[in-house]
Amino acid sequence: MILRLLLLLLIALPAANCRAGWEQIAEKVQLSGYGETFHAARIRNLSEMNSSRTGVRLEAAAEFGPAYFFVSGDGEKNWKLADESGFSLHEAWFDYVGDGWDMRLGRQIIIWGKADGIQITDLVSPPNYTEYITRDLDEIRLPVTAAKFRLLGDVAVTEFIWIPFFKAAVLADGESPWQQVDREALWHKAVEEPDDALANGEFATRMSLYLSGLDLAFSAFYTWDDFATWHRRMEERDGSDELYYTPRHHRLTVFGAEFSRPQGDFVFRGEAAALLGRYFEAKNSNYNPLKRNLFNWLLGCDWTPGNQWTLMTQISGSSVSDAEPLLRDRHTLLLTLNISKKLLRETLILSNMLYYSVNDKGVLDRAQMQYEVSDGVAFYLGLDLFDGESGTFNTYRDNSQLWCKLRYSF
Amino acid sequence: MVRFSVVLTLFMICLLLLAGPLAAQEPLTGREIMVRVDERADGDDRTSKMRMTLTNKRGRTRVREMSSLAKDYGKDSKSVIYFLKPADVRGTAFLSWNYDDSSRDDDKWLYLPALKKERRISGSSNNDYFMGSDFTYDDMGDRSVDEDEHRLLRVEMLDDRRCWVVESVSLDEDETCRKRVLWVAQELDLPLRIDYFDKDGLYRRYQAFDIQTVAGYSVVYRKLMENILTHHQTLLELAEIKFDQGIADAVFRVSALQRGRLR
Repeated sequence: MILRLLLLLLIALPAANCRAGWEQIAEKVQLSGYGETFHAARIRNLSEMNSSRTGVRLEAAAEFGPAYFFVSGDGEKNWKLADESGFSLHEAWFDYVGDGWDMRLGRQIIIWGKADGIQITDLVSPPNYTEYITRDLDEIRLPVTAAKFRLLGDVAVTEFIWIPFFKAAVLADGESPWQQVDREALWHKAVEEPDDALANGEFATRMSLYLSGLDLAFSAFYTWDDFATWHRRMEERDGSDELYYTPRHHRLTVFGAEFSRPQGDFVFRGEAAALLGRYFEAKNSNYNPLKRNLFNWLLGCDWTPGNQWTLMTQISGSSVSDAEPLLRDRHTLLLTLNISKKLLRETLILSNMLYYSVNDKGVLDRAQMQYEVSDGVAFYLGLDLFDGESGTFNTYRDNSQLWCKLRYSF
Repeated sequence: MVRFSVVLTLFMICLLLLAGPLAAQEPLTGREIMVRVDERADGDDRTSKMRMTLTNKRGRTRVREMSSLAKDYGKDSKSVIYFLKPADVRGTAFLSWNYDDSSRDDDKWLYLPALKKERRISGSSNNDYFMGSDFTYDDMGDRSVDEDEHRLLRVEMLDDRRCWVVESVSLDEDETCRKRVLWVAQELDLPLRIDYFDKDGLYRRYQAFDIQTVAGYSVVYRKLMENILTHHQTLLELAEIKFDQGIADAVFRVSALQRGRLR
């Protein structure tokens, strides 16, 4: 993978029309990044850690006229999840800006949508749920190797994206306290992922309109479900029948729409996505997952009444085409409320993000304090509370945590 | 009879000759002065690098560095600010389409590198302070003349310059700043000092220093905004400025903002 990227960059470098010598190139390279340490302890027993890690993100960028190169990498020491320790490439891409168009090639994070903390149309970069949704957005979204080409008009931007190599979502597993299902305990074949054939690529297009007083976007995405479907059948094993799982990814087609409209002190926004061909667990766990169509939608309202307050509220729904005999409800509803206040000349930011799952009366409340110790140095203190009668939030009740983070940006 | 008509004719001619100059010497109204300030020549487009130093009453400082581009479209304008320092806000960008029509909200977008996308922000709320400084978004933008009622108070000297002193009262009763008093240099059509009043009285003061002429335009190289109540101040310094560079319209589009850098 890395060799492919280097090859891409080596081919692209001459295309940047760069005549500079290596010394001049080195002068143009800008280095930046951050170092941080993050620790989270369970509220029920502060000696039990949900997370304990220290890491560094290094970024290098260089601009040569219309060409721009960017690479970032991570180094981490994780005391809770040993597998997470080590060094990894995060992003590595090349931008070129032409007259009325631009493109980005390489390993990149692509974010769509107008939602806050919820993915409706934002499905291009798969999620990393190693620590569920408690990590920063930059850590939750996985980069994909893609070629993105944009046509840039006065009001319209049309994007074409080709993702030649499939990347699956990452779920918590092994020793992670965020693991929901111990898949390794199941008798299963290795997850079947689409191979790197041309026919297995993903294709996305999105047209965005930026008008006075209104933003609109329409998208289509021919993709693979980032989450494997765990097909199963009864097989004999050691003299008895046991479920044998054959997980694989399926093709998914997504049609999406988004809007954002400011009105006075308010900004109204929304998005919707129709996912055709997703698989869902049946009520009877001995049955194979069933294929259905899914419709996700969201409406949100941001209010900035002044005095450094911000209130953001969202209602999000999900409807499946035929709920029988699925494990999930036909319609589900999720409400969110995010309140934040900046104090002390924006050196102190207090915020609270509340998720409420109506169907299973599940709650996730994320309270956070962010304090700017000095320019580039920030201290964070937070509380994540999980509760509910059933559902995901209830599953994580014991993971309610108190956490702190110190970050130095350079 | 003939002599009388000749005298009368001469008198009428003198009257007509004096009428022009006398009419020109009528004092300008407050609104007329503010229109001159608003329409002061500042180039069709402007590119600048700025350094903003925030100092609290204990002398502790924080520094922000930004690049700013702006372009006029008739009476409207578009501007974009890219934050360069400190490191934790680098890459943040703020795009604004400003409309002279006070009944029309400006269009604004904020790009946050941590979210890797832009978001629409309210165009009406300009009273909040910009990046923790003593300047509000309104101060950083372009306030329409018709948002206030203006009255010329007097003429006086300030920093060896003859100034109109104009009182501008906001027509929006919900605004924190209820009234401003501006000292406008007559030869420059530029405010040298602005006192800001809320319902309790004077709370902020703006002063312009180091005024130079660049490419034929008057430029304030140092702007100081003080919060009288908290003893906090913000110094906005221009590192460089260029006019009429022919900035492409594409720079002021959301598509440019989405790159997360100035290009």
